[in-house]
Amino acid sequence: MPLNRRIGVIGSAISVPAEPNGQSLEELLYELVQSALRDAHLTIDDIDGIIVAANDQYDGRAIAVMAASGSVGGVDRDILSTPSASDHAFVMGVLRVATGQYRTQLIVSWSPTEVHSIAEAQRLAADPYFHRRLPLDDMASFSLQASVLDSKVAGAEQIAADFNASRGSVGSHQAKRSLISDGMSSPPVTGAVALIVADADFIAEHGMKNIAWLKGMGWATETGFLGDRDLSTAPALEAARDQAYGEAGITDPRHAFNALEIADPTPYQSLIVLDVLGISKRADWEKDIAAGAFAPGGKLNFNPSGGARAANPVFCTGLRSIVEAANHVRGAASSQAEFALAHAASGFAMQYHGVFIFGTQN
Amino acid sequence: MELMTRNEAWNITYRHALGETASYFYTEIRDNKKIFGRRCATSGRVLVPPRAFSDQTLKPTTDWVEVGPGGVIEAFTMVYEDFQGLPPPPYAFGYVMLDGADTALGGFFRGVDLSNSAEAAKKLAVGTRVTTKFAEKRIGDVLDFWFEIAG
Repeated sequence: MPLNRRIGVIGSAISVPAEPNGQSLEELLYELVQSALRDAHLTIDDIDGIIVAANDQYDGRAIAVMAASGSVGGVDRDILSTPSASDHAFVMGVLRVATGQYRTQLIVSWSPTEVHSIAEAQRLAADPYFHRRLPLDDMASFSLQASVLDSKVAGAEQIAADFNASRGSVGSHQAKRSLISDGMSSPPVTGAVALIVADADFIAEHGMKNIAWLKGMGWATETGFLGDRDLSTAPALEAARDQAYGEAGITDPRHAFNALEIADPTPYQSLIVLDVLGISKRADWEKDIAAGAFAPGGKLNFNPSGGARAANPVFCTGLRSIVEAANHVRGAASSQAEFALAHAASGFAMQYHGVFIFGTQN
Repeated sequence: MELMTRNEAWNITYRHALGETASYFYTEIRDNKKIFGRRCATSGRVLVPPRAFSDQTLKPTTDWVEVGPGGVIEAFTMVYEDFQGLPPPPYAFGYVMLDGADTALGGFFRGVDLSNSAEAAKKLAVGTRVTTKFAEKRIGDVLDFWFEIAG
């Protein structure tokens, strides 16, 4: 169902420190949110509500909203938390504005690296009945997914390697999981993302320019039991895609977007997503790779931000993709686009998917 | 049939960055037995424990202010539950508005017999003056200091 209000991204900020700088998480979030407010030329008094998304296991703090409320401006204000995924915070923020009860929402997500092992923290997401005793973390689930894809698509391992190579080198990093070779993934880094959405009336009243208008949005979830799934496919993404494309009127996805920001924890996941989104079907992967379609500056303008492969703030990569896609449309990024697509995935073997389409025209 | 259970232990450790403000606070406690707060220039309030920004005004705090060691109990509780990593219960803790501060600092109360909670509660009544004591060996931690009834 289309949104009953036009909603746009009016400000944002991304913080991914190149090196640990000794800042506390709260200090990082405070500076981030102040930066996003400045970008939108607003103050916290213009914000009607706040949605935050974080992972308690990564944070080392239970109930993220309790620790973060002071940093992000939530004291004595409306603030809620979506611990499921960072892009779900965006969904909730947009839906709140769409209700007509809010004109603006601040959306914030973060992903620290203070836990001794991200892998062990992720393992806690597994149920304690059947999966907790397995060495199951995100990267292991991506490796499982790679093995299934390799069994379904002839030469998938080589295709993934060629896809990765075509995007240029990002240095050495061993994922320590089979089929995910050196340089196919990036180590977790600390990062945080904030953005502000507003409805069309608010935007008009404030004379705001360079808006990334939300044209379509879809999100869906698959079963948590990996053994119930065909890991080479993504039916939840199909559902999210249909919702987003339907709202935005997308019928030719391969040619519809000037910029793509797509989940890329490893090349296998990106390939599956590109296939389901109809941007590069399986039969076209080798041809597109050979043509340099995924290379920096390539025809598909794939992840011009560099994506998670360049810097991987694990939990907030989805919201970062949304901000990067919006920035392409707002003219705030190196790559200017009239239409941009953001895809977010999270959970084991991409259990959750979100698709978000931004355009320059209201 | 047998209904089974599973024992699970979460063995996860963290190395949290404290940031400049909390680091200065704990360094002063460890090295000089002094407690500092940060002043919010907008509101004038002295925040203890110190923060780099005020979550009320959302403005950066501007200067350090030494507070205490005396203060007044704002809230207290006696805890008879066992917590991992803490001495055996019972213990008393609460919040003290140190002299010169505008927000209260959490810490342990010592020197009060907790075997009779009703009697202990009278001694720890809200409004009672206390003073801050420091451990002989300090590492830069909340356990480096505690409060005792002034007198």
